Amino acid sequence: MTETADAEAIFEAMGAVVTRWTMGSTAAPVASFWRTELGDDPVEAELRLLALSGQFLGAIVTAEPPPVLRVLPDIPTLGLPTVHEALRPLVRRILATSKDGASRTEFIHFLVARGWTTHPADWIPDASDEDAPDIYAAWRDWSASAASGETTRRQAGDQLTAENWEDFWPAARKAALIMLRQRDPSAARALLEAKLGSESADARLRLLSLLSERLSGDDVAFLEGLAANDRAPKVKALATSMLARLGHGPAAGEDIAELAGYFSVKTKGLLRRSRVVQIESPKTPAQWQRRKALLDGTDLMSFSGALGLGPQDLIDAWDWNVDPAADTGLIKLIVETGTDAQLAQAAGIVSEHDATGLIVALAPRLTPADRARFASARLRAHGIGFDMARVIAGAAARLDDLLSAPAGAKLLAELRRDDAKPSDHVAEFQALGLLASRTAAQQTLQRLTAAGLLQGDPRLDMLRLNAALDDNGEKP
Amino acid sequence: MTISACSRSAARGDIELSSCPDILTILDSNWEAGVAIDLKAVEQLATDQSSLKAAAGLAKPAKWSGVGSSPDGALIWGECAGSGANPYRVMADLRDLGNKCTCPSRKFPCKHVLGLLWLNAEAIVPFAPADTPAWVSDWLGRRRGTSAAKPASTAAPAGEKDVRAARAVEPEVVEDPKDAARREAQSAKRNEETERAILDALDALEQWIGDQLRMGLSGFIDDATARCRRIAARLVDGKAAVLAGRIDELPSRLLALAAGDRPSGAVVELGKLVLLARAFRATPRDAEIRRVVATTETRETVLADPQALRVNAQWEVLAEQVQTRRDGLVSQTTWLLNLAASGPRFAMLLDFFPASAGRRGSVFAPGERFQGELVFYPSQQPLRALLVRRDAAEAMLNSEWPAPDMALGEALTRPLLAEPWIVEIPLLLPRGRIARDDSGGTWWRAADGTATLPVAGNAEGLLAGTELMRTAAIWSGNRLAILAAQSPWGRIGGHD
Repeated sequence: MTETADAEAIFEAMGAVVTRWTMGSTAAPVASFWRTELGDDPVEAELRLLALSGQFLGAIVTAEPPPVLRVLPDIPTLGLPTVHEALRPLVRRILATSKDGASRTEFIHFLVARGWTTHPADWIPDASDEDAPDIYAAWRDWSASAASGETTRRQAGDQLTAENWEDFWPAARKAALIMLRQRDPSAARALLEAKLGSESADARLRLLSLLSERLSGDDVAFLEGLAANDRAPKVKALATSMLARLGHGPAAGEDIAELAGYFSVKTKGLLRRSRVVQIESPKTPAQWQRRKALLDGTDLMSFSGALGLGPQDLIDAWDWNVDPAADTGLIKLIVETGTDAQLAQAAGIVSEHDATGLIVALAPRLTPADRARFASARLRAHGIGFDMARVIAGAAARLDDLLSAPAGAKLLAELRRDDAKPSDHVAEFQALGLLASRTAAQQTLQRLTAAGLLQGDPRLDMLRLNAALDDNGEKP
Repeated sequence: MTISACSRSAARGDIELSSCPDILTILDSNWEAGVAIDLKAVEQLATDQSSLKAAAGLAKPAKWSGVGSSPDGALIWGECAGSGANPYRVMADLRDLGNKCTCPSRKFPCKHVLGLLWLNAEAIVPFAPADTPAWVSDWLGRRRGTSAAKPASTAAPAGEKDVRAARAVEPEVVEDPKDAARREAQSAKRNEETERAILDALDALEQWIGDQLRMGLSGFIDDATARCRRIAARLVDGKAAVLAGRIDELPSRLLALAAGDRPSGAVVELGKLVLLARAFRATPRDAEIRRVVATTETRETVLADPQALRVNAQWEVLAEQVQTRRDGLVSQTTWLLNLAASGPRFAMLLDFFPASAGRRGSVFAPGERFQGELVFYPSQQPLRALLVRRDAAEAMLNSEWPAPDMALGEALTRPLLAEPWIVEIPLLLPRGRIARDDSGGTWWRAADGTATLPVAGNAEGLLAGTELMRTAAIWSGNRLAILAAQSPWGRIGGHD
């Protein structure tokens, strides 16, 4: 190399060299500092220059970082510990085999119910994952900050006020509002009164639904305001439904009288003291449609009033299992506009009948303890499968002795069949794993392996995780 | 259908065993007698006598590691050293003789499966009851799709097979010295011809590179795939197959760059090719250079080489990269980190198999640690290696990765002094963190602010949301591909 050539000079010349080659011109003439090394043969000089330039660009030149680089904040630790390292491979496999978002969400809720969260390398919720358990609020907000590029940490915790409302990311705000509602319902409502108007329709709907917790007469004025004035029909409908739960249904109109026409209240019994709601079956498809539309548009209080009954009397006197569509309509009314007591009353009555679908519809508003109780009862008395029982029970159930239920006996019998296949009953095994208490999971594993299933059978993953996971969750 | 044809079809998942009463009887009687499998079943399962012979050679403890069985004895598994750098994972379900091996053999069952069954049948090594490894469970899960009843195979059974004959040691044939001399002379002549062919091919390559410069790199970048394919085909004809594979992959490396960086990227790539061609001309017999141009030594050659570096250490599996190449081969690269204080920091287990062989199971789980002996292909910078022995897993107390062996600047450039043509340099980076620029580009930034390097891909999730105490990555001259990192949250895989 020519003595005077230094890295800076070569670097400056590289631009011209690369440009010339890009255009198809010879480049040796602009690399005079390597004249000696390149030699006199023009073809050979180009190849030598290519070798030298390639090495210079590859070894010395790296991309210059832009002056401004953003570093995301640390992923925060959550309120529950992450699953132990030894169980993470099992968690990853279950997550990987959860084919849809719903089954993944169920599994995440199961972990939370047992007092655990996922490791952030295995699963982090998206910012928009409204189904993620509230304990993940900080990670949802971290995902939101990562997507938006914001690098400053925002507020977290439960000290949410109108003043610091904007300092919270949405998921943390929601979690704080839930805590505030549990601690001080009026303060939470007052906060919503102050801030709800500035939120989007979707956000308003989500925030308003939080008032379901500890709903009381103090909320009526606020809800009436929303039912009358909110811009979004869905928000109006939710406020109306909440008002109905509080016994403030809309005034009865012509529609309610028309609806009442599809039903009649009769007396029965020897003394004709007990009443029964007799369902007049619609005669044409158009009438069926009309009745459904009328049921969808009313509330429990108005409907019972139109029949001259109180809501509890209506639920008591309903002639269940005669007209499934009418049953479904009434249950929907109860779920959307009934009080907790009315809901429990309906669940008690429906559970006596062979109407699993109605229990499923009621389940989301039942307490975790009731859900587990009804699931257990239907497993044993009505012979439903584990997958259906899981839908009723939710994530917090801890049922025992599951294989002694008819579904268990059926499962064991099918495993022993000659034509049993290794892909059979995947959903039932998964549901078993989600439903069982830890002890039951351990016992179930023993019985299933004794029945011929391999311990390493991937269908047993959920049971194996349940059996190995310390149950630190709140018991329903 | 004969018992042997029946068992073969059942093992392949082609038929339900219930349709083979003959073999079911054997299996049932074995099972009830508490004997998992006997040699007769191995014999029947083998496709031919040569498989059986090969299996007999593998039924030796030294060939196997990680052998185990499920507590009920129904599943057995093990890792068998094959001809590649990565061992093969072999598993079998003794209830129906279903089996799986990660080798690319088209025989089913392959010799490794037969070897494992043989080990079990004769209790040559203890099959310790253990928790079923995840890779065995994964296979069980995938068997779901294949166990449905299908028409039984109508293939005629292969000729007679005999375990005793397979076991017999063939007498060594004493070779005539004249034959040996003739063969050596032929071999030398062949080597010379090969060398001549390679040199001719490299002349053609340099001519081609010169043409690309004359015609303009702009056109080359636009038409890189077709042009590279043509010269790669010429190199294959000229017995420079490894170099041909590299040139076939050149366009994809180029296209991974931002449009503005491609001309200088092309200069770097083509410049390295010139350097490599010149290096080969200077020392055509150098095994290290031959390895990147023509052929790689066989496993046996490396194992027999007394100069080859052997390292017995604790290794962590950083990542496995599986890539389908344009030449129809799939490359399977396992990156290992040496956790000892000294010695080569990285090892690369590289295997190729035809894409037509289908999906191949992973050999290692990322994050897995093991004590084992590796032999490195002779090199100034040992990196490519073969797994010689893998000891039984034991508790690895030291969870920290070692500190980088040299300053980052040196680590980025020193390998190029010895092998200026290399494309990938494995690096162990000091404490740092992922950062983003305004256009969404991802960077790794050293905690002390002395270095900032561009990262390939997005590095999302936990990788971008925590301090990275150590990061293992591949530097390709213009981008870092993160393999794994250590963080306050523990180990993070590059794709987590």
